Amino acid sequence: MTSIHVTGLRVRHRRRLALDSVDLDLGTGVHGLLGPNGAGKTSLIRVLATVARPDAGRVELLGADVADPRGRAGVRRRLGYLPQEFGYYPGFTVREFVAYMAWLKEIPADRVPAAVARAVARVGLADRADAKVRTLSGGMVRRVGIAQAVVNDPEVLLLDEPTAGLDPEQRVEFRELLRELGASATVVVSTHLVEDVAAACTEVTLLEGGRIAYRGTPKSLTRLGESSGGPGDHPIERGYTAALRAHRTAERREALR
Amino acid sequence: MSDGNTHIWHVSAGRAARYADGTLPEPDTWSVEKHLEGCAGCASRVSAAVRGTAAGPVLAQVRDAVLARATPVPVPAVSRLARLLWAAGPAVRGAWPPAVLAVAVGALALSHGAGLPGARALLLAVAPVLPVAGVALSYGPAADPLYEVTAATPGGGLRLALVRTVAVLAVSLPLLTLAGLLLPASGAPAAVAWLLPGLALTLGTLALASFTGCRTAAGLTGGGWLCAVLAPVSAAPGGPLTARLAEQLGRCLDGTGTQGAWAAAAVLSAALLAARRPAYDRPFGR
Repeated sequence: MTSIHVTGLRVRHRRRLALDSVDLDLGTGVHGLLGPNGAGKTSLIRVLATVARPDAGRVELLGADVADPRGRAGVRRRLGYLPQEFGYYPGFTVREFVAYMAWLKEIPADRVPAAVARAVARVGLADRADAKVRTLSGGMVRRVGIAQAVVNDPEVLLLDEPTAGLDPEQRVEFRELLRELGASATVVVSTHLVEDVAAACTEVTLLEGGRIAYRGTPKSLTRLGESSGGPGDHPIERGYTAALRAHRTAERREALR
Repeated sequence: MSDGNTHIWHVSAGRAARYADGTLPEPDTWSVEKHLEGCAGCASRVSAAVRGTAAGPVLAQVRDAVLARATPVPVPAVSRLARLLWAAGPAVRGAWPPAVLAVAVGALALSHGAGLPGARALLLAVAPVLPVAGVALSYGPAADPLYEVTAATPGGGLRLALVRTVAVLAVSLPLLTLAGLLLPASGAPAAVAWLLPGLALTLGTLALASFTGCRTAAGLTGGGWLCAVLAPVSAAPGGPLTARLAEQLGRCLDGTGTQGAWAAAAVLSAALLAARRPAYDRPFGR
């Protein structure tokens, strides 16, 4: 089932074209969003999170057009979002913080305590639930961010660089959680780490210069890396650079024509 | 019951006991099991017989273990105080309440400690700006570290802004009015005269914020008020400063006509805010 349907998306960010004529259909599963810095990953996630307004194009989430205020409110109840720069209230405890987000996501009050306990346990913070957020390490704060994103059991989950600040063991655990969430929800994860994609994603979308450069699976990207001689230490990294270069060559040819 | 054998026979107590202890011949156990699928009475008789054997305690143990796992652990609810703090938002948790308190206490100290006669006029000149500042410190990307996340939630728009505004008003209105009541009038308007202007400026700030963002809006309304009150005072000749201020405040606050105008401004701002609600639904100020 297609839960994210994007057509002709154009987004400006600080007077620069961040995304240009992007068409994208995403369904249940874990979708890795790869690309160099400034490729438009964050812009795409912010538009999908209904936080940024597209300059042109249409964004449909869970069958509703997000330009329509009524559809947007319904979609936001079923949405989870972790921004790249995750701000928080340092004086709140983990439980209070996640419960606050549950309130904003309009979860019925009687279901909030259980939903919060479950979300906090899912990210492995059950033993720190009543600790103040300011006493937590950077990796733990990141996990609080993931907990608030999943507290409403979202059908669309958008995570911008969620593994930044996690140590290797936490990243392995996080990938496990991603796979679990991706079984029933549409999860979009932007990341710099190609190995995260190889380990946890069912599909890969590669962005470059605000356009989609490549779409496929981690397997197909690995195969591309095996057949091409691009730089990189692992086949999937070679696949990443090969796909980027192929896209750039095609763009240049397009420009010359 | 479609099962052909149900009307022919049922499992007797003796047969059930032999089934339970495993002495019933195999073909007979098959027909017992087939029958149990469709007959609740016999199923409970056989269950009772099985519980009586050595397997009974083991089964009870397994049942307890499964129930212990499945029973939800009581989850601590979020306290009432925490809920109140949520509603309050960043301003009321931060440096803003001490600032309001400092203004109130400062005015009292000037009057009763230093014997300054025009303390109420000073307080009334500053008071309407404080809730406006509170709004600017409560909502929007610059004031709220959580803004980016709340902007993606259904409750993060005007509802949240209003809840936080109510918290700001609940702190500032009683505190500043009470301080005003404790000060000698000495020519200044009544201590409650600032309430309607304060409300109108606050609502005006929220309405304006839908166009400009909270900070700019607060600067315009709060700055506008201060200009209206202070500019004529510094320009006007003669008399002590506080007396001139009291006179100017009288023009801005006293009389039913003036208060009526402030009430009308508050109503208009509220109407504009209601019409601008969709703007709060999408992030502004960036």
